[in-house]
Amino acid sequence: MSERRRVGISELHVAHAPDTLVTYGLGSCLSITLYDPLIRCGGMAHTLLPAPRPGRGEARPGKFVATAVQGLLAELLALGARRERLQAKLVGGANMFENLLTPNGDLIGERNTETAREILGGLGIALVAEDVGGNYGRTAELVLNSGEVRVKSVRGPSKFLIL
Amino acid sequence: MSFAHLTDAQRDALREISNIGMGHAAGALSRLLGETILLKVPRVSVADLGQVPELLGGPEQEVVGVSLRMHGDAQGSMLLIFPCASALQLLESLLGPRSVEEDLDEMAASTLKEVGNILASAYLSTLGGMLRLSLLPSVPALARDMAGAVVDHILIDLGRAGDEALMLETEFHSRAGEGRLLKGHFFLLPDPDSIQTLLRGLGGVV
Repeated sequence: MSERRRVGISELHVAHAPDTLVTYGLGSCLSITLYDPLIRCGGMAHTLLPAPRPGRGEARPGKFVATAVQGLLAELLALGARRERLQAKLVGGANMFENLLTPNGDLIGERNTETAREILGGLGIALVAEDVGGNYGRTAELVLNSGEVRVKSVRGPSKFLIL
Repeated sequence: MSFAHLTDAQRDALREISNIGMGHAAGALSRLLGETILLKVPRVSVADLGQVPELLGGPEQEVVGVSLRMHGDAQGSMLLIFPCASALQLLESLLGPRSVEEDLDEMAASTLKEVGNILASAYLSTLGGMLRLSLLPSVPALARDMAGAVVDHILIDLGRAGDEALMLETEFHSRAGEGRLLKGHFFLLPDPDSIQTLLRGLGGVV
């Protein structure tokens, strides 16, 4: 029986086909999905921030882009996935409010996305698709049967998108 | 500051000042609308960041959110959330009959921001008066989208320091008749560094 598993904020989960992983209401947060099409297993994270502060131990790898990619990779390799087969997709990283900046004055959504691209590149994981940026929220679903990532929005230019 | 160390007395005191602050804010909104605004007893909760969108009615619920920062002696984030139907209701009361548009036009957007500004200013000036702190709202920002997306920048800010949020929440609604229900939620999420400042201020009250 296929299961629909929800990935909450700061969480990461991995699963096999025929399950689906879903995360709701991404604004500046970034969802990272990794998928191995051969063994049809994959993982999803709902990250808040680019990376933990230096020297800080973090109990939740799913909270940060940097630790989430590592965490997903480790769990998928343990399930038999191969790094060279993995396909990464990114969803989210928006800037919801026109005049709201972080204390450092930058756009957190963009920084999350940039960090993910760099880390995936550094690990040699193929980034095959993304739906990021803009000023609207998104819900993302990773369908493990097909590897499709389905993106829904209520405000975006398209209400439904398949990556 | 560990949230676990918030005593019952401190929670009660936070609830009480929040109640008085929202009382003033509701009074201001009542005068603006010419309608009575009723308040529920505020909730003071310590929530895991991931739970916050649930407390707003679920992360996919479409809402109109006005986001402001609290500046001055203590810092924090404030959020005024209306279900979409209530936001339109509010705009009708203030601007007259209007079509249910996909997008909020400039007039509608600045009206909703101004409502946020009025509520936040009344709330903070009352709180500041009681706690002997200078507290001021920032310029408001507006978004209409899924609740999870509207709130996540606040969770991101709080997430830099930890995994929990102290949340002062008040639900309010208008007394107007059927089909004219106006409902909203007001939230204050103090920055972790500022919680001690607020609690010290409370020491002078309780």
